[in-house]
Amino acid sequence: MRVVVAEDLFLLRDGLVRLLEAHGFEITEAVGTGPALLRALLTHQPDVAIVDVRLPPSFTDEGLQAALAARRQVPGLPVLVLSQYVEQLYARELLADQAGGVGYLLKDRVFNDDQFVEALRAVAGGGTVMDPDVVSKLLVRRGRDEPVTRLSPREREVLALMAEGRSNSAIAQRLFVTEKAVSKHSTSIFAKLDLAPSDDDNRRVLAVLAYLNT
Amino acid sequence: MGFVVTIFSIVCLVIAWLRSRDRAGGSRSWRCRVRAMGWGVLLLPIAWIALWLFGVNPATVGLLLLCSVALILFPGVAADLAAVLLILLGLYGLAAAFAVYKYARQGVAWAGADFIAKPAAAHAKQVAISWKTSIATAVPHPPKVVMPSPPPKVVNVQEFIVPFRPGPWYAALASTGPQGYVPVLLAAFLFLAFGLWLVPRTIGARGALASRVQRLSETRTDAVDTAAAELRRVERDLHDGAQARLVALGMSLRAAERLFAASPGAALALVGEAREMSSRALTELRDLVRGIHPPVLADRGLGDAVRALALDTPVATKLDIDLPGRLAEPVESAAYFAVAEVLANAAKHAQARMVEIHMRHTGDVLRIAVTDDGIGGADPAMGSGLRGVERRLGTFDGILAVSSPPGGPTIVVIEVPCALLSLKTSSS
Repeated sequence: MRVVVAEDLFLLRDGLVRLLEAHGFEITEAVGTGPALLRALLTHQPDVAIVDVRLPPSFTDEGLQAALAARRQVPGLPVLVLSQYVEQLYARELLADQAGGVGYLLKDRVFNDDQFVEALRAVAGGGTVMDPDVVSKLLVRRGRDEPVTRLSPREREVLALMAEGRSNSAIAQRLFVTEKAVSKHSTSIFAKLDLAPSDDDNRRVLAVLAYLNT
Repeated sequence: MGFVVTIFSIVCLVIAWLRSRDRAGGSRSWRCRVRAMGWGVLLLPIAWIALWLFGVNPATVGLLLLCSVALILFPGVAADLAAVLLILLGLYGLAAAFAVYKYARQGVAWAGADFIAKPAAAHAKQVAISWKTSIATAVPHPPKVVMPSPPPKVVNVQEFIVPFRPGPWYAALASTGPQGYVPVLLAAFLFLAFGLWLVPRTIGARGALASRVQRLSETRTDAVDTAAAELRRVERDLHDGAQARLVALGMSLRAAERLFAASPGAALALVGEAREMSSRALTELRDLVRGIHPPVLADRGLGDAVRALALDTPVATKLDIDLPGRLAEPVESAAYFAVAEVLANAAKHAQARMVEIHMRHTGDVLRIAVTDDGIGGADPAMGSGLRGVERRLGTFDGILAVSSPPGGPTIVVIEVPCALLSLKTSSS
């Protein structure tokens, strides 16, 4: 699997490259600035890109902007955005094109390399992976007439794990239920969120979007 | 006498002009120097007008001397004096216009106070009538009047007592008639208007300046205190949080190092613990950074930072934000934390279900209005939160107004004068 890595701190970039190579990824290019990232994304069109939000030269959200710009030109280009902090605002911007293949994680999720690699593969496969921090913040929000409030507590739990990019089997394992029960829950979630039956992956993305947009 | 005093005052004006170079920061440009002298530059010309109007007498000579000395010794007061003199001249003019009108109708020309009649040489036998009736020349004998052409409507020979001279003196006074008051009145209004216009720029500015200085020193103290308290908080948070965790992390790693050979299982558990600890240290650092300067604020500016803030608030929000560019960083930061505090209050104390945030930048003022549908009764004097926000905004001459009747709604309005720095370049 071909990967582009964008990270301006040499130590972190080097660490990421080593970690990915150890897990059998092929590093197409490792860059350190926003413009270089955009160029690399458009020329290589990698299977997945790992992007730090804050990049030089402006040290603002240049990485995020480059990733969004690249996805405007190549819809669905898989991008896993890493950051020292997660913002729902940025999560929404990443999800706005509804094309899937998006991840948004805190940098320290890299510590758990198995989960990180799993998330990376999920993004490469067109899935949506949101940091548990983004997801948990949504749980504290309260609203009156939002579609998500129609969900049962169990269904919310399933949707939250879905937003973190977990597969049905992983969710089943986590919640100590059978995979069949999870798929029953997800069908019910899609129905309650008025999502028409279609490709399951796309519906998962839309469900997460509905969840984030409340 | 008048000539000598006038020369003296011109010398004083020249000296003041030469000294103005120091006040203008050594600049040779006459514009800078005139600006450095300020309205004080008008003081002597006004005194000369007074001398010309009232003639040479102890009062006018004294005034001119006083003004000359004031211009050199107290250049700061000279402008104030100029305004006062102009107003006095204007008031005198008003009285003179009234008198000209009244006495001319009675057939008597008006010459101001008696002492204004200027004693001529004792042997003078005749008086030339001039159109400047208020500066009459007095002679010691009833004079032969020489009429100008065209002759004035009213001519009157008046007796005077001239100070320090024996016997009555006489002066011939003429008037153009009752309508002679018109030019005097116009001149009076001109003086008065100019004098009053100068007041807020001289004497008034002094008062305004004093209160401004007081306000600045207050807000500066506040700013310094706030910054110091903030630094103390950061230091304490780092010391008790991330720093302590890093120490523990090092100790765990050291213990793991020792255990590696003897019991790899226990060492592995310790390493896992260390990783956990580094995670927690990172979380703490992240929260700390968010409290100092939220990353979205640095990335995107106030508008998006408030949008992000609204997303993280447990209360439903309605946003109406129109900021076409970035603001100065300290202003952005103060406004952001102000909105954060108000939002937190709405969620925590007001039990609000809906908060509306309006944000606009018009005419170099940032205006933020936050309205909630909570229980109201908020008082900035009670809670330290809003008080702190008010003080922080005060550093930028910003204000915070709270309207929160019991039962709600609570409306908090924040206004900060500031300029838009740049227009947005990114489209997203």
